[in-house]
Amino acid sequence: ERLNEAIQLAGDSLEDMLNHMADYAPTVPEAVTGYYLNRAGFETADPRLVRVISLAAQKFISDIANDALQHCKMKGSVQTSRRPGKQDKRYTLTMEDLSAALSDHGINVKKPVYFT
Amino acid sequence: MTSTSNSKRAAAHRRVLSVAVAALCREAGFDSSTESCIETLTEILQSYISECGRSAKSFSELTGRTTPMITDVAMAVSQMGSDISGLREYQRKLSRVKIPKQESMYPTGT
Repeated sequence: ERLNEAIQLAGDSLEDMLNHMADYAPTVPEAVTGYYLNRAGFETADPRLVRVISLAAQKFISDIANDALQHCKMKGSVQTSRRPGKQDKRYTLTMEDLSAALSDHGINVKKPVYFT
Repeated sequence: MTSTSNSKRAAAHRRVLSVAVAALCREAGFDSSTESCIETLTEILQSYISECGRSAKSFSELTGRTTPMITDVAMAVSQMGSDISGLREYQRKLSRVKIPKQESMYPTGT
């Protein structure tokens, strides 16, 4: 009985979330997400589902990018200490930082040695 | 991959994805990036979306439905290692309006 209540509550909050998602367009366009979803066999009449997946994918990439930035900053703090006074630091996303961030997420990127 | 991989249609969608990836990196705080990083992240994004769709469809078929519901999507997303309830927080962070730097209201010194 209590389990049913909890399940009901979880369902309600999902429905609630779905309704609140209406007023925001994700960076990953829904049309593109829909295309890849259809290619995977996912078909829905509810555009909100596509939006949720769009947002989830976007969050995934954002999290990775944030992790990579942290790696970049950690590495950069050693380098910039040599030249104090330079305020505008420019951060460049490199494969080194990215693969470090990705391995935190359980994704192993191997770069071929001959790859330029 | 599939036979549509090399079609112009697929290429167009792929290009849009890489633009989105670049925008997200920009948003995270990067000023520039190497080509291979964007390409890698684009591939990951495409795989993520495809896997999400495949998984959600499987979950809906497991319960005897043909069209997926939000619960199937939630299951699919949580199977990929993130929680769908965290999306609200993420969305709120994105849509939060940044307050521009305020000029001092009071005259200082003199």
